[in-house]
Amino acid sequence: MRGKTLKVAVAATAIALFATACSSDGEDTTENNNSGGTLRIYASEPAFLLPSAGDDEPSILVIRQLYRGLVKYNAETGEPENDLAESIESEDNKTWTVTLKDGYTFDNGEPVNADAFIRAWNYTAYGPNAQNNAYFMKRIAGIDEVSGEEPAAEELSGLQQVDDLTFTVELKEPFAGFPAIVGYSGFFPMAEACLADTDACNETPIGNGPYKIDGSWEHDQRIQLARSETWAGEEKGAADVLDYKIYADVDAGYAAFQSGELDVMYTIPPARYQEAKQQYGDRMYEAPGDSFTYVGFPTYDERFADKRVRQAFSLALDRQGIIDAVFDGRFTPAEGVVAPTFDGYRPGVCEYCTQDVERAKELLEDAGGWDGEPLVLWANAGAGHEQWLQAVGDQLKAALGIDYELKVNLQFPEYLATADEKEFTGPFRLGWGPDYPVVETYLYPLYGSGSDSNSSGYNNPDFDALIAQGDAAADLEAAIPFYNQAEDIIVEDMPVIPMWFSKIAALYGENVDEFHWNKISDAEYGKITLKNS
Amino acid sequence: MGRYVIRRLLQFIPTVLGTMFLLHYVTSLGIQFSGNPVRAIFGDRKPTEEQLAAMTEKLGFGDPCLEQPGNPCFGLFVDRLQDIFLRFDFGINLQKEPVTELVSRALPHTLKLVLIAIVFEAVIGIFAGVLAGLRNGSFWDYLVKISTVFVISVPIFVLGVVVRQYVGVEFGNVLRGQDWIPEVISRGVFGAGFIADYPTASLVIPGMVLGAVSLATTARLTRTSIMENVRADYVRTAKAKGLANRRVIGVHTLRNSLIPVITYLGVDIGSLMGGAVVTERIFNVRGIGSLVAQAATSGEASVAIGVVTMLVMVFLLVNLLVDLLYAVLDPRIRYE
Repeated sequence: MRGKTLKVAVAATAIALFATACSSDGEDTTENNNSGGTLRIYASEPAFLLPSAGDDEPSILVIRQLYRGLVKYNAETGEPENDLAESIESEDNKTWTVTLKDGYTFDNGEPVNADAFIRAWNYTAYGPNAQNNAYFMKRIAGIDEVSGEEPAAEELSGLQQVDDLTFTVELKEPFAGFPAIVGYSGFFPMAEACLADTDACNETPIGNGPYKIDGSWEHDQRIQLARSETWAGEEKGAADVLDYKIYADVDAGYAAFQSGELDVMYTIPPARYQEAKQQYGDRMYEAPGDSFTYVGFPTYDERFADKRVRQAFSLALDRQGIIDAVFDGRFTPAEGVVAPTFDGYRPGVCEYCTQDVERAKELLEDAGGWDGEPLVLWANAGAGHEQWLQAVGDQLKAALGIDYELKVNLQFPEYLATADEKEFTGPFRLGWGPDYPVVETYLYPLYGSGSDSNSSGYNNPDFDALIAQGDAAADLEAAIPFYNQAEDIIVEDMPVIPMWFSKIAALYGENVDEFHWNKISDAEYGKITLKNS
Repeated sequence: MGRYVIRRLLQFIPTVLGTMFLLHYVTSLGIQFSGNPVRAIFGDRKPTEEQLAAMTEKLGFGDPCLEQPGNPCFGLFVDRLQDIFLRFDFGINLQKEPVTELVSRALPHTLKLVLIAIVFEAVIGIFAGVLAGLRNGSFWDYLVKISTVFVISVPIFVLGVVVRQYVGVEFGNVLRGQDWIPEVISRGVFGAGFIADYPTASLVIPGMVLGAVSLATTARLTRTSIMENVRADYVRTAKAKGLANRRVIGVHTLRNSLIPVITYLGVDIGSLMGGAVVTERIFNVRGIGSLVAQAATSGEASVAIGVVTMLVMVFLLVNLLVDLLYAVLDPRIRYE
């Protein structure tokens, strides 16, 4: 079975009447297996519609309908399946040969060939272009020569065209997960005409997916996509039109949903969650999510250098209690550092992640106790983290008798700079979202020695070696045991206190017939079907 | 008259420059103390030094004085003034869109919203004020007094959210269930916020919410002013001449009573554009107010400075117009 399907109960006549009354485009639905019509989607303003630049959720949710890449993710299992690629093969996990399917074109008629991928990835990686997704090209050989303000080369040496539909990718280090990461929207192809004028292409994208833009991006108002006639793939878009309506404020979006202006809404304002669940319970899709919240330890501070102190802190916390009290139960307590939706997740791997006050006291005692100075807990200002961090402090105080104070006055830019410069003076809150559906994304970027996002300053050669072994394994299946061992090291050493993973809650309206959600790439707007009136 | 206008226009220059400098200083301090806003674009993923430097330079946050807390950054200010007045370049936002484009996109919404608010508060406010002022101590007087106190004491964000929920969603949903009500009413006017399909109709209720607080003040001002003027000598004279009551009230009393009200309405245009920050967010109107709010949260100094500078100009011009209107209302006022 492909796609998660939720059948909606048959609506009462009165409600059907209401539905027709508020859908202005209801009349142009076609009889085509429940497809057709206009799907009205809640959206916030995307940052960019260029695949090389858009790395935020609102951008990606539009880009994924306009463009398609080498692979797509199975909605159920999250595994990569070939989309535009005929095959992605390698013998050593270092040099990959990609063969493309024939017959795909961009909206302007240009063929989607090997060059379309090579030019897109080169453009993304080239330093002076300052594209947000340059980060994702870092595994490709030659990246060091093209990045920076005045790079030595203009093109990645690791990308070579073989023939029109074949190209090779040489990586810096072997990585078994390569076929999985190229499904990320930053790896999508770009047309020549698009790169000739990227500003224009950002406003009026030239895509290669099942939908194409209708008109152009109406900033802060809406983005309309229409089904593309040139799409050669199997899965055609279900709805005729995808109408992304842009809201500045999620509460305003929720009010619009309530008044029948929207068919799908992928997020619910936290304060309205309970009410929404009561009112739209049968039309609310809930699933575990993958964004990770943690409290990191500055392991460069000698007070946190002993792992028993870190373990004791983690043992002192009742995660479910905080989630229930502060967030209406809307998160999943972390039982490790890998999200439950990932292949390679194991429940209950973290033995220090359930509250055990006695053991926490013992461990802290063994480590020499706390020096009596108040503990400083860090969070960035203005994003609502104070409340739960205070609950963390209260629990630490109750369990271990450590006084604490909150340091929550830094704005996000400065807070991140403090993290980069390793100047935290106490535990700090941070989050992490996966970059690609390989468990490695939860491990190396956060805990690898010298990794960019390793804010705790954790450094362990054994861990690095296991990750390298996993990366070099024959395939993802064989890599997972190594990654699992690496995770075991982390939950024992505790450079961070794993707190919780997000939960997805999406709403869909009476007009929606089948709702689809992909556990990796989130909302699958192209597959959602509408009822025929 | 002409000399008066020119003098007023010349006075704009120091005011605008002063405001711009204050804004420039405040935003520079903000960056000096809260860090390079470009860093936040990357979030949990740390960019490379070069990447950060390239983006910072591109967005105009590269000046070294932005790293010295307290430095007023005069050099940057002069550059900015030259960009704005010589090249009409207001800078770009974090998505690299020019500020002038952002403003030209947002302005029509806010102008419509403010126009609706002003018309609403002027018509209803003056009407209620006259009613209450002429019948001092009557039922109508108490009704106006009590309702205005009520409106003034409710913060606009509460009023907005309540109206959105109960008028836009709940009452609107009842209307939307009826086939005989045209969509422009059921979806447009009584929608839960701005809808692109009905760009004007869907601004009526947000405009009324925006105008509500000022409406109360307008009504109060008119009431007091009328009560004062009905006892004035010239009104008594007019009555003694045997003029019809409608003419006495409509022309003689009202015209004079409106001077403070017009002053207030003029000043209010400026504050309505500022007050739109809250209303626009609640009703999803993508106007100047939400532009400023967004710029403030993401630390986009060029957007904040550009937009507020334009707002100051509007404010000054409207006040000049109001001053000129005095002569129309009261022939005794002359400009030299």
